[in-house]
Order: sequence, then C-alpha cells, then structure tokens
Amino acid sequence: MTSTPARPSPSTFQDGLRATLPLVPGVVAFGLVYGVMARQAGLSLSATVAMSALVFAGASQFTAVSMWGQASGGLIILTTFIINLRHLPMGASLAPYLRRESRWCKAILGFGTVDEGYALAISRYLAGDGSRAFFFGVSLVLYASWVLSAGAGGMLGGQTLDPARWGIALVFPLTFLGLLMPLCRERVTIIVAAASGIVAVATAPWLPGKGNILVAMLVGGLLGALLEARWATTE
Amino acid sequence: MGDYGVILGMALVTYATRAPGIFFLSGRLAPSVERFLRHIPAAVFAALCAPPLLLPAGSFAPGLEAVAAVPAALVAWRTRQVLSTILTGVVTYWIIRWLE
Repeated sequence: MTSTPARPSPSTFQDGLRATLPLVPGVVAFGLVYGVMARQAGLSLSATVAMSALVFAGASQFTAVSMWGQASGGLIILTTFIINLRHLPMGASLAPYLRRESRWCKAILGFGTVDEGYALAISRYLAGDGSRAFFFGVSLVLYASWVLSAGAGGMLGGQTLDPARWGIALVFPLTFLGLLMPLCRERVTIIVAAASGIVAVATAPWLPGKGNILVAMLVGGLLGALLEARWATTE
Repeated sequence: MGDYGVILGMALVTYATRAPGIFFLSGRLAPSVERFLRHIPAAVFAALCAPPLLLPAGSFAPGLEAVAAVPAALVAWRTRQVLSTILTGVVTYWIIRWLE
C-alpha cells in the first residue's frame, strides 16, 4: 500500500452524471440495436420498451430477444437468470459500502447494479470518495439512455445497425480497462486480474451468455483470497 | 405465458441476482469472505475487458482492438481517467483502420 492521502470528499450526484457521459454513445448504440432486434423478433413497441425498463440487463435482453418465439417462456427466464448470476458477487462486494444506507436506497441501487454502473460506483468506493449520490447519478444516466434508446430503436423498425463498425463497441471494454489499470498497484491484484482475464478469454467459446464472466470472477476472487491468506501467514 | 409475463419473469429473476448481495451481507463478514470480495472488482473489470479486446466477434485471433488496447492501457495507468482511456483506444483504432 502507498501512503494514505487525506480522505477525499464524497462524490456528488453531478459527479455521477458526469462520469457516466462517456458511456452514453455506447449504451445508446446498443439500445438502438436491441430495439430493432426486439421488433424484428415480434415484440410490440411497448413490450420492447417495457423489457428495457423492467429488466435493465443488456446481454440477457439480447439473448432473450434472439430466443423469442422459438423457446418457451420458462427457458427464456431461466437463461436470463443464468446470464445475470454474475451480478450476485458484484452486489456482495458492494455490500460493505452500502451497510448504513436505508432499505429503499439498497433496493434502488440493487436495481442499478448493472456491469457499467457497478464498475463506476465500486471504483469510487475503492478510491475512498464513493457515495450513494454518485451511484444514483450513474444509474440514472445509464437507465435513461438504455430505456429511451430501446424506444428509438423500436421505432426505427427494419433498419440494420452495426455498433462494431465505428469502434463504438470498444467503449465498454475500454471503460473496464480504464477502471482496472489504476487498481493494479499491488502484486496480488495484478495476479488476480491476469488470472481472471485469461479464464474469461479461455472459457468464452464454451460458456456463452457471459457464463465465462461469472467463472472468471469467481476464480479471480478465490485466487486473491488464497494468495492473501498465504502471504499473510508467511510474511 | 404472454410476452409481458415472460418480461416480468425476466425482471424478477434479474433483480434476484442483484439485490440479495447488497441486502443480506449487511452484518460483519468472515475474514475469508472479505478477502474474497475485496478481489471481485479487479476480477470483474479484467473479465469484462479481456474477451472483447482479445477475441473480437468470438474469433480466436487478436485484432485491431488488442492493438488499440495497448496505448489505452498505458494512458489508463498514467492518468487514471476513463475518458482519456476511451479516447486513446478509439482514436488509435480509427487510425489503424484508416492505415490498413
């Protein structure tokens, strides 16, 4: 650990809005694609928007829409659950920082624990200036852009869109990379990140639907806990 | 099950993966569990960035994305700024696509 600087003042709601703005083009691009796909799969415009507003989970919505009309409702719901299981450990790692928040606050921020929202919020908590106001700001921007772009995509109808074309799809991995690098200042963190990245890449072909993310984060977390316990006893 | 029934079911199971961690881990945790959870953020960030950068579109060959990630990672390390990381990566990606 480096020397601890004076505790920074907590981030504000506006900080949350500002920190999320760079992600908006990416979210909107995917929201549009989702809206178009959902309409092509046969969902009504209101059902297309309702799914984004109620589920608020990109990867599982894309998967659900691609199964729509071909798989049973129960299978779609089960698949959604499996794809989103990765949020369980994410919520758990937020718990120590939200311990003193009210029940309502936890309920709303729990809804906001999407990959991007979690990433931005936990980074601030780790840096010492996290706050529920910041987390709310982040969640609001992500939620509004996701729901509105789903509606816009739903109205576009038969267009075809490819977010990979302009490098917009790169915004998400680059965001996670930008949040990861500042954490890599301890030996154990570097090993955890490397192991998790390797496992995610190696298992991607066998575990579609983000199953690889869940496995990779569990392996990374366990490895980190084991190494820390071992080094604590030998040093 | 109508469309809205499936959507409601999806919403419930999704929320069921997000809220419990926050709600039920509010007491003190065993040190081993705390050690595990402390490493989850870095593990999540690495797991979410490595596949799209190294295996674009599910292929097994790194492409332009991996090349663009190198200067982006350096900028992330130096500046700790997400916005500069995104800009560096995307602009590098545009430049190499234009040069190709």
